[in-house]
Amino acid sequence: MYTQVLKAQWLAARLPVVLLAVLAFALPLLTVTYGGSLEGAPTERVALWLFAAQKVGVLIPGLALLLGLLLGIGAWAPDHLGKHVYALSLPVPRAMYVMLRFAAGVTLLAVPVVALGIGALLASLSVSLPSGIHAYPVQITVRFAMAALVCFAIFFAISIATKRAALAVLGVICGVLLADLVLGAVGRGDAGTVTSTVFLLLTNWPGPLSILMGRWALFDV
Amino acid sequence: MSRSPWLLGLLLVVTPAVRAQAPGERLAAARALVARAESLEAGLKHDDSVAQAKEGARRHATVFTSGSLTVLLPAFTDDAIGRRIAAGATAMLDDIGAVPESFVGALVVVSDYAMNVDSVIKMAGLGSRARVRLDAGLHPDTLADDWKVATAVGRAYAGSRDRDWNAWLPWNLGVGWTMTRDGQAAVRDLMTGDTRVGAQCLAGDMRGCRLWFGLDRDPNPYAVRFAPAELRRMLAQRFFYGGGSGLMRDCLGGTDDACVRATAGGDLLPPVPAGYAARGSLLHAVRRQHGAPALRRALADTVGSLGDRLARATGVGGDSLLAQWRTWLLTAGGQARVRADVRAAIPALVFGGLLLFAAAGSGRWR
Repeated sequence: MYTQVLKAQWLAARLPVVLLAVLAFALPLLTVTYGGSLEGAPTERVALWLFAAQKVGVLIPGLALLLGLLLGIGAWAPDHLGKHVYALSLPVPRAMYVMLRFAAGVTLLAVPVVALGIGALLASLSVSLPSGIHAYPVQITVRFAMAALVCFAIFFAISIATKRAALAVLGVICGVLLADLVLGAVGRGDAGTVTSTVFLLLTNWPGPLSILMGRWALFDV
Repeated sequence: MSRSPWLLGLLLVVTPAVRAQAPGERLAAARALVARAESLEAGLKHDDSVAQAKEGARRHATVFTSGSLTVLLPAFTDDAIGRRIAAGATAMLDDIGAVPESFVGALVVVSDYAMNVDSVIKMAGLGSRARVRLDAGLHPDTLADDWKVATAVGRAYAGSRDRDWNAWLPWNLGVGWTMTRDGQAAVRDLMTGDTRVGAQCLAGDMRGCRLWFGLDRDPNPYAVRFAPAELRRMLAQRFFYGGGSGLMRDCLGGTDDACVRATAGGDLLPPVPAGYAARGSLLHAVRRQHGAPALRRALADTVGSLGDRLARATGVGGDSLLAQWRTWLLTAGGQARVRADVRAAIPALVFGGLLLFAAAGSGRWR
């Protein structure tokens, strides 16, 4: 059953998966466009290297978000098109079907993750770093995998959520913005206090989106 | 100086030509002109005194306080703005945490543009406090903002430290230092300053960091902290006209020994390779990682080298402290380098699991 679902999902999402895998492979290699040997290199070159690593690093959580978005929504696209008739006709409980879809999506996520890992490894092997600077290919790959998983889970759940659930999420977002407006109007807080508090709660550990934050540089101290 | 002769002259010049007059008529006319000039002058004096009175009222010193901080600003400062300036300055001083409250409480920060300062200070019972000058623009919108007030206090405190600290501390004690702006400047200084010790520090050599910061009492700091070529380059940048002493000319001409001897006096170049933003970063790293009391202890200490004082105050060996600072700065405020440990994974996995559970429990066709 899993193989069938995986096959169907692959057929539906192979183009974005392949494109994102190519992108994921290329991203870490962008860091080493400044050359391959940094041992004994002038300080400015090392600085450029680190800046480049940080700039490229910023793109990696963005890629995880894109990957999660495309695969999360794509996981349910055929079902939405077929009005869920195929799913209802299967002799499996709904929860099992959702699990199968999720597992198939996670399997497809692994393709760009592995591509990024290979790219990061090649980039790390292609340079000789000065002392004090290290490469983190494994850490960046594992973190990318977890970030992609979180993003995938979010969009996977949103895609299959009921209208009531979607309205509830929208209501919470509007409520936060409204609370800011009200507090600002009565002079009890600066503009954006509630929004920024919620954002900080989500993006600081143990917030669920904290995995997307922090540093993502392949080469770092 | 009286303005009557000038006004009289002006009136004579601008008075249109008249028909020929008899001597008596001319005298009367001249008297009338003088009377007119005096009248104008009296009017101008009156206008001046009215303007002065108005200006005096606008700039009359007004007291604003926040915590231990007392600031005297001109009266034209809006009340809310004055309070915001005092509160903002207090927050900035708390942020660096280097200045003891007792020091702040013994000062009164006085704007250059406030008038009747003595009487206001006397009336407010602030006569025993030392005055700190606040140089600020006259326009109400650009008047002494919180940073300027906090900087004035920081500068006063830096000036009150012993000779070693006084020479080393950033001019404003690192008040208002931010990771976004000054942290990047410090990193740029470390990376592009192009000194040998800076490069060593960047690469993780703590001895290089000690030299870059000038934390040790080196008998000849220029010889230890700079390579002759670096001294030559810096001298050439600063003294582009090629003048100066014979030693400097020899240095610029390529004699290494002359570079060290030319700079040994300390008048030509700063003895510390690290710039003010970088030194501020060390103060802030100590503040963030060991707390404000540790920083205050270090700045109050007068025994030994600056490195020894920081080590005593923080309880961390000098090299370890510098290693902490280096990681803190290069990782933009202590954010760990890319991490993929269990701590990072737990929220991601729990949240992913919850969403899967939610998706499995309810959906479009249920």
